[in-house]
Amino acid sequence: MSPALQLTDVRSGYDQAVVIRDVKFEIQPGEIFAILGKNGMGKSTLLKTIMGFLPLKAGEVHIFGAPLGDQPPYLVARKGIAYTPQDQALFQDLTVGENLRLALRDEGLMQSGLDRIGEFFPFIPQRLQQRAGTLSGGEQKMLLIARALMGKPRLMLIDEISEGVQPSLIDKLAKVLLEERDRSGTSILIIEQNLKFALAVADRYAVLKLGEIVVQGDAGSSGLELAIASQLSV
Amino acid sequence: MNNSNSFFRDDRKSLFIATAMAIILVGVAPYFLDAYLVNVLIRAFLYAAVALTVDILWGYTGILTFGQSAFFGIGAYSAGLIFTHMGFSTANAIVAIAVGVGVAVAVAGIVGSLAFYHGASNLYGSVVTLVLPIIVTQIIFSGGNFTGSSSGLSAFQSFDFSMELWFWISGLFLILLTFSTWIFVRSDAGSVLVAIRENESRCEYLGINVSYVKICLLMSSAVIAAIAGYAFASAQMVVAPEYAGFVFGTELLTWVALGGRGTLIGPVIGTLGIDVSTSYLSGNLPFVWKLILGIIFVLVIVAMPRGMAPLFMRRSRRAQGDLMDKKNPVRIDRVASTVFEDSKVNAIELRGVRKHFGSLKVLEDITLNVRPGELVSLVGPNGAGKTTLIRCISDGNERSSGSVLINGHDIGNRPPYECVAFGIGRKFQMANTFEALTVVESLRIARTRLHRPSFADRAEFLELPDAAAKVIVATGLDKELDTETRNLSHGQKQALELAMVLALEPSVLLLDEPTAGLTSLERNVIGQILTELATVHRLCVVLVEHDLDFVRQISSRVIVLHQGKIVLDGTVEQVVESELVRTIYSGGAQSIGGHS
Amino acid sequence: MSILLDILTTAAILYVVAAGLMIIFGVMKIINFAHGGFLTVGGYSTLIGTMIGLNVWSVLLMAFGTGFFFGLLIERFVVRPLYSRPLDAILATWGLGIILGQVITIVFGREVQVVPSPISGASELFGVSYSQYRLILVIAALIIAGGLTLLLGKTRLGLETRAVIMNETLARALGINSSLVRLITFSLGAALASLAGALITPLSSVDPNMGVPWLINAFMLVMVSGVSFMSLAIACLVLGGAQVLVSTYANPVLGGMTIAVLAALMLRLRPKGFARE
Repeated sequence: MSPALQLTDVRSGYDQAVVIRDVKFEIQPGEIFAILGKNGMGKSTLLKTIMGFLPLKAGEVHIFGAPLGDQPPYLVARKGIAYTPQDQALFQDLTVGENLRLALRDEGLMQSGLDRIGEFFPFIPQRLQQRAGTLSGGEQKMLLIARALMGKPRLMLIDEISEGVQPSLIDKLAKVLLEERDRSGTSILIIEQNLKFALAVADRYAVLKLGEIVVQGDAGSSGLELAIASQLSV
Repeated sequence: MNNSNSFFRDDRKSLFIATAMAIILVGVAPYFLDAYLVNVLIRAFLYAAVALTVDILWGYTGILTFGQSAFFGIGAYSAGLIFTHMGFSTANAIVAIAVGVGVAVAVAGIVGSLAFYHGASNLYGSVVTLVLPIIVTQIIFSGGNFTGSSSGLSAFQSFDFSMELWFWISGLFLILLTFSTWIFVRSDAGSVLVAIRENESRCEYLGINVSYVKICLLMSSAVIAAIAGYAFASAQMVVAPEYAGFVFGTELLTWVALGGRGTLIGPVIGTLGIDVSTSYLSGNLPFVWKLILGIIFVLVIVAMPRGMAPLFMRRSRRAQGDLMDKKNPVRIDRVASTVFEDSKVNAIELRGVRKHFGSLKVLEDITLNVRPGELVSLVGPNGAGKTTLIRCISDGNERSSGSVLINGHDIGNRPPYECVAFGIGRKFQMANTFEALTVVESLRIARTRLHRPSFADRAEFLELPDAAAKVIVATGLDKELDTETRNLSHGQKQALELAMVLALEPSVLLLDEPTAGLTSLERNVIGQILTELATVHRLCVVLVEHDLDFVRQISSRVIVLHQGKIVLDGTVEQVVESELVRTIYSGGAQSIGGHS
Repeated sequence: MSILLDILTTAAILYVVAAGLMIIFGVMKIINFAHGGFLTVGGYSTLIGTMIGLNVWSVLLMAFGTGFFFGLLIERFVVRPLYSRPLDAILATWGLGIILGQVITIVFGREVQVVPSPISGASELFGVSYSQYRLILVIAALIIAGGLTLLLGKTRLGLETRAVIMNETLARALGINSSLVRLITFSLGAALASLAGALITPLSSVDPNMGVPWLINAFMLVMVSGVSFMSLAIACLVLGGAQVLVSTYANPVLGGMTIAVLAALMLRLRPKGFARE
């Protein structure tokens, strides 16, 4: 079976600047993979390239075996990829319900989608009429994950979901991701600076530094967190 | 190179020859062309003069203006009104031109202050230039018999000149105007226009009062258009509201776009060509011709934004460029960087600075002092408010409340160019440069505040303070002085921007991620330069940085920002050892699953 | 009293004319300077429709459809390449307006032509005799406003359009084909302009340049309203009312520039115009 996501020698960036180079990794179906690194190291650039917002300068991206080509982002999304960006990820002036509906191509699936996410986040189906911008910061994060789950995605790309979130909520988000993977075999790529959260959730990881992958491996061995932290030299 | 900088130097030869030839052509033309064409050309020359002003405003400076026709109309109606109601005499002729020019300048001043106020968007500026000709035409309409309303004024007495004489006058006017504008746009002052078009914000932060420049440009253009209008009315002895209107204003833009915006010659030739052919074809195929022009216009805007001229001009331009390089390479003169005296005054003083967008609080109650000679690194996670803080220090309009003092001066609500005058130099996060200008031109723009640029010339040498020169040499930019910025690598652009800011000779240096995209060798050089600037020259240097190795190497002080507040402020050791910082960066002491 | 009706009907007419321009500005962030040309297209399709004897509803439908068709072509070939150059888009659409005007002149000639009004005569309202057709236009404005609000608020297309207005990048990331949304929006805007042109022809006449004066006023109203049907309505009432008052009590010619001048000044003082924070 082909990998959920496969990058080979990818080089990308803005205009003439090369931000990421020689990036090579793959995610197997049903795997949770973490990309770790500090700011400015190219993480968001990586996700934008996968989604088709930035053209590939070199290398290849394969999604479930099919090459990315130069497809526009909306087609990439329609292949079952749920992308949760880091900033401006919600339509603040639309209601919770409208934000969720936008994630579905077929609105007939709305009810079944609500049932699914209601198990993870019971408060959401009760607040469909509320403007998304009036939710608390933590509730907005939960709504982001809920929206990503609405359409039963095959692959989730999540950019720094834990940022600015209190520890108890981080726990909950981790549980949700693990359970979604166990139940539905969803592949998940998370971009994180929060090492504890990332390593607790991920099966494998890679560290991105100055635009290149410097180390990859299995998450789970003890002491890994400190080793990586020193790599990132806090 | 004894005549290398004189007015009549070698690379200007072709300009002088061309001008001389044009004058000769205009001189003999009336004897070879039929009367109809001569008459058409009188008008076309004057239109071309106005089109030139549109090219300066739009092609060079980026101000999309629909309103030059209004100034043309003002000049024309001054002649028309005074000659109709007061008769013609030498005295009246002088009064009329004085009134025409005077009113045009006054109107331009008012319109300019409205359209180009600090913070106005380009769209708003264009809107105002759109409304101007409408107002002028409406005023003309409402004037009843006095202004001739919609039919205009005609058959008034005017100068007793022959058609040939008018031809020579308008032809010469156009030639001299083109000549002097050509020299102007190729001077150092001319590249300021391009800089404004390319990156207005960068100009503001280099201390250039962009609003003032635009208003001056508009006023000078108004004078030229008014004189052209005056000549037009005097030659044709007819004025009508259409000449002041919005449709004529847009036609001017069409001619400039088709001829090639930003090329001067293109718009002149385009205007002459189109106006003359329209008047000939008009007889037979009036609307089809306009239709064809319209189609070509749309095609040009969509597919060839630089108009047709570059197709013809590319070869000669490159040749001229090479010629200039070989004969007049620009030399860099190193000048010692200023050493600032250690004063009692804080370089930066913030008291209770807050910034919020609606209910979103970005900065809360920031209070801090920074002394000259300190090298402070501002660190913190994404979204902590670091760049916002830099903005609040360099732009008086940015913060929501609190006060900011630079070297003891309260910046109040002052715009960036005035903050630069207090000693601020700001380098942006993404390389913020002038794509179309070369390295040396960009550096010269940076020196504009300290050295008024010449209006007729390119200076032979460029004075750069030591620090800026070091950056240029260390990153290899000294070998790329005549390369356009758009062709530099990302790292080189970063270095260029840094050099530009250093060329300002600021006493307070604000740098947003100065090492992003640089190699480690380049990082070292920058680190050394910054350290020297702080310790030897006593600058106050504030950096926003993510590269914590870099921070550790050079900072004398580290301030940690988190969720809009200062959480730690101390030496490098204090901050690095801090448990709090570790927590912020690695996201929490609690692990998943509830274990502590 | 008749002054109040004048203000109301003038506001309604302005609203009908400006609505199409506003939805284009909202979604695509550009000003469609071919708007005047579309108005003219609508006026002339009314001419054709009346000449071949269609009834009122068919004429309006024809105007709407013609505008929609031309809108599709223009968005695809002229506007789309200029997405990143808004000032150039103003110029290019202005050029298109000229092209439309010239084509119409070639086909129909330059003369002013009159289209008979489907409803003539006056009715008694609040003790004043007032043109029936103008009053009908108020109803038309309400229908258009209502229709657009429903479209935007209750349909999938409307939801996607609002998403694209707020954050196009995010919309694309969620699988919304924003290019299609823009195409439909532009065509709808053009169709509305054409419909407006059809609606206003009985008020005066048709000629190849009839759209130009409306373009400027519509443009200023849109600049001042931001992207909100409510603010547009308020702007039309306030600025349209000012125009009526100036025309009646001062000078009709000065009245013609009231909207433009007031709007320009207002934007200087409050760049958001009538839109709420």
